[in-house]
Amino acid sequence: MSSKLSSRLFNLIKKTSCALCSKRYVGVNVKPENVDPFMAPYSESPKDQQRLYVWGMAEHGALGDLKIRSRERQIQFIYRPVRLRFSYSHKIKDLACGYGFTVYAVESNQYKLFGCGLNTDSQIGYHDPRKGYPLGLILATVPIQLPLKEPNTKIKAVAAGRAHTLVLTNTDGVYALGSNCYGQCGRKIIENEDFSKLRNVNNITLDDGISKIICGQDHSFFITKTGKVYSCGWGADGQTGLGHYNNESQPTIVEGDIKGENIVKVVSSADCVLALNDQGEVFGWGNSEYGQLLLDSDKYQVNIPRKLPLSKGIGKITDIGATGSACIALNDEGVVFVWGFGILGKGPEMNQSREPTPIPSILFGKNQYNPETRVKSVYCSVFHMAAITSDGNLYTWGKNKWGQLGLGHTKDQYFPLQVSVGAAVKRVSCGVDHMVALCIPYQ
Amino acid sequence: MTPVKHLQLTLAIMKPHVVSSPFSLHDIRRTILDNGFYVVRSKRQTIKLEQAEQFYREHKTKFFYNRLITFMTSGPSEAYILAREDAISVWRRLMGPTKVFQCQLSNPDSIRAKHGLTDTRNATHGSDSDESVRKEVSIMVPQFCFDHWKQTEEPMFRNGRVQFNDKQFLHSAHES
Repeated sequence: MSSKLSSRLFNLIKKTSCALCSKRYVGVNVKPENVDPFMAPYSESPKDQQRLYVWGMAEHGALGDLKIRSRERQIQFIYRPVRLRFSYSHKIKDLACGYGFTVYAVESNQYKLFGCGLNTDSQIGYHDPRKGYPLGLILATVPIQLPLKEPNTKIKAVAAGRAHTLVLTNTDGVYALGSNCYGQCGRKIIENEDFSKLRNVNNITLDDGISKIICGQDHSFFITKTGKVYSCGWGADGQTGLGHYNNESQPTIVEGDIKGENIVKVVSSADCVLALNDQGEVFGWGNSEYGQLLLDSDKYQVNIPRKLPLSKGIGKITDIGATGSACIALNDEGVVFVWGFGILGKGPEMNQSREPTPIPSILFGKNQYNPETRVKSVYCSVFHMAAITSDGNLYTWGKNKWGQLGLGHTKDQYFPLQVSVGAAVKRVSCGVDHMVALCIPYQ
Repeated sequence: MTPVKHLQLTLAIMKPHVVSSPFSLHDIRRTILDNGFYVVRSKRQTIKLEQAEQFYREHKTKFFYNRLITFMTSGPSEAYILAREDAISVWRRLMGPTKVFQCQLSNPDSIRAKHGLTDTRNATHGSDSDESVRKEVSIMVPQFCFDHWKQTEEPMFRNGRVQFNDKQFLHSAHES
């Protein structure tokens, strides 16, 4: 036994010294049978494997079973990415983070929708293990029942707001769960409705067919297949864009400057809304207290979509994001622009900008060794921003009170910093105080 | 024991988004107790439109009036009558400035920075003066009698003859 070990060690030393001293060794292919177990490369993960990482506030249960796993029972928040097993047993199609809860759409014949976290408004369905006493907090990822008309219906996308969830299917239109106190679920507002015991799920269909769904905190948007936008919910800041400041319980078409445009993306994490058309032009409406909508006047609320006066030099916009007090846009050259108020990602001295200002690309890993690296997509929560680069690296910056930036501490981050996720990040979803990243193994 | 000064009252309201989030509510309640407040009355209710309009009538001309009213009436909220020396100023200091996005940078440890979501959903309300306490309590907790408080309850609270009920989140005076 010991002789075997010592011979192994000897082999190892020989090989290492060979690699260090001999030039001829470089580039020589070692035959598989000669590979020493000590020197063997890591086993490769299957290429189609998905990895799910979560971090941030754990008290609400939005991080899945992490909170109840005995080893981490006492945790209040997690400030570094932690891998969940959920993605190994389920093929995740889409995910969304709301305020204290997370929903996953999975490809399956049985349960197609899963959720965990805060459920005081039945935003992740009605669950009562003890009859008549629905759970307000769900600390494990549980299946959510939907009244699907056909068993073969697939879930295409999910979106989550402060206390409501939208689920887009391929046959039945949209299902809306959770709080409807402002009409955000697209049904009539009932006064003093008790959402904690809500069992019914509202079904929303539009004539043109819905291709994308977006949740603001208390309002909802539906993009049709023809690029029109419908909205419902809270309009007190004009965030529904319907020309008034009232609640809207019926999904209604949004006009103004976006009339006739082919809208491809709408974003809203709080009460400010940005929309992007297929030409790369940006429109905005809703709250503009911190100058997010680049208005000339001191108007704080805009209730009808208007085109943002972005200067020609910015070029074609490919991705957008809006926090509660700032906006972010990505152009087709991979340059990230920010404006508004708060932590913008340009250092602690700069917390306000009246016009779009670029974040240097070097902060996103573009340098002389990686000249091709560029930002591919940007994401926003209410208080922080995130960007994913072409290498699959995730960068975050902003407020960090519950460790939602995943940087290993709870100090605020004033410029983009890479999150150490052990895989290539494909997409993330930013909740108010937590984040979820869907990744694939490095190839 | 140092003589305790006169106890002051203030009205604190936990806004709807806090009440629907158990962690935030628990954390704010703990902050209230840790800072030596007595909870004289505690009431959960969904604020009615007329109540809200009366409550915020001084803001009637402001641009945020409509969203404040619709937000406050959107779900259950909790009203607490708190008692402490200098209750009004201490509670306002704990809450932090009104605007959450600014408060996050200037007072990151305040209640609003921790639990506020936006400038409207700013977690809590606190009265700003003795007159507004009287006015606001009469709207939110109309059963509360200030004379009875001053004559009977206040001396007992001042001398610490109270017990705390965790379930109701309420201090009550006891006779012995």
